[in-house]
Amino acid sequence: MIGTVTLNPAIDVILEVNNLKVNHYNKVLNTHTTSGGKGINVSKAVRGCGRETIAIGFLGGGRGRMVEEELREMGITTNFWHIEKKTRSNMIISDKKTGQHTLLSEAGPEITEYDLEMLKSIFYRVMSQCSVVTLSGSLPPGVPVNIYGDLISIAKERGVKTILNTSGEQFIKGLEKKPFLAKPDLREINRVFGIKIVKEKDAIKAAKEVVQRGAEIGVISLEQEKDIIATRDKIWFAETNYHEIVNLIGAGDALIAGFAIVLSEEEENLEEAIKFSMSCALASSLREEEEFSSREEVERCLQYVYVKRL
Amino acid sequence: MIRDVTSALASCKLADLIGILSRHKISGLPVVNHNQEVVGFISLHEIIRATLPNYLGIINSDSVLCEFIQLSKSLKEYSKHPIEEFMIKNIITVDENDNEVLAADLLIRNKIQRLPVLRNRKLVGIVTLTDICRVLMYNNENND
Repeated sequence: MIGTVTLNPAIDVILEVNNLKVNHYNKVLNTHTTSGGKGINVSKAVRGCGRETIAIGFLGGGRGRMVEEELREMGITTNFWHIEKKTRSNMIISDKKTGQHTLLSEAGPEITEYDLEMLKSIFYRVMSQCSVVTLSGSLPPGVPVNIYGDLISIAKERGVKTILNTSGEQFIKGLEKKPFLAKPDLREINRVFGIKIVKEKDAIKAAKEVVQRGAEIGVISLEQEKDIIATRDKIWFAETNYHEIVNLIGAGDALIAGFAIVLSEEEENLEEAIKFSMSCALASSLREEEEFSSREEVERCLQYVYVKRL
Repeated sequence: MIRDVTSALASCKLADLIGILSRHKISGLPVVNHNQEVVGFISLHEIIRATLPNYLGIINSDSVLCEFIQLSKSLKEYSKHPIEEFMIKNIITVDENDNEVLAADLLIRNKIQRLPVLRNRKLVGIVTLTDICRVLMYNNENND
């Protein structure tokens, strides 16, 4: 079983427009609503590949129950802690003409110390059923930056491999507890450890730093279709040669799902894991719909992925 | 089955349990140990029966209001007690590989609302009669 933690889930409201003009009247062509949040997206991608997954985190109010219901319908097991305040919503403006996506993200509801204590208790129990857990996304107000570090310690105590995928201070603090794999989320600021990720050498330097700071495997996304993966003694460059990308939302989460799937298998092979993960991300980015790719779609994309040792 | 493993530890305080039931809008849940192994089941029914033992008689009597005041006092008195004091210990469960007919039979024969579903003795979901009816209806539609 693959566990995913989403501390700040959301209802994603996707508004389709044709040529968005800021400070003008814009007509919405279509509206879709779906459950979102990085961890939840990882669970969806894992389930899309036919694997068992359990989603943990905070939910609240009617929006929270909507998220839970949608996940269960997809075959994802849930064990969320329900808070008193409502789950946030995110607005995604999808421009059909330019192909651009604009994300407007709410901060999320306030979490209390009691909520955190209950979440840790759930996490401890659920880890008895998992072989890999992913810790992804932003933190809602009230959650201390060392939360991912605490959860990594609990998971390690229970013999579960951890994947950390977040940004800022919570990423740095989480690394101190030595996760198995770590990938900084560079969507807001294209910078980690003070290194601006522009060229391949920047990504290599940052990936090595992730490993030096405690992770067994460090992953840095260089561009949309390129990644650098480092371990203590090896570096890989992975890219895809299929450039007709339709939708980048969720592609990074599909990449994490790919790593989680291969790492949960008994005979894991890192080079295979890299290839499979890139293929998950590519398959996700070729879909117009919000649903995640099937195992067959992922396997079809393997032919477009190249991995080389540097 | 419902793929939800919302549960409580046997050491969970009664007040916390009522908070969970209220937030999740459910009337009962499995009680587990730290390894997600089911050790009991608790619902509002058990709580009321334990805190107000003769409640079934009271509901049919004329003194419901004053007995509810007594129930409120009892609940507050027991609020810090662990739920293992109130839960049903020898509970009926099904394995995830068992079929819906067995699950329906167990639910009806034992007059219970929910059955915890286990895999290797660990909780993986809950099945209710409503779920079973839905499966039977869906299968019948396919066969027609």
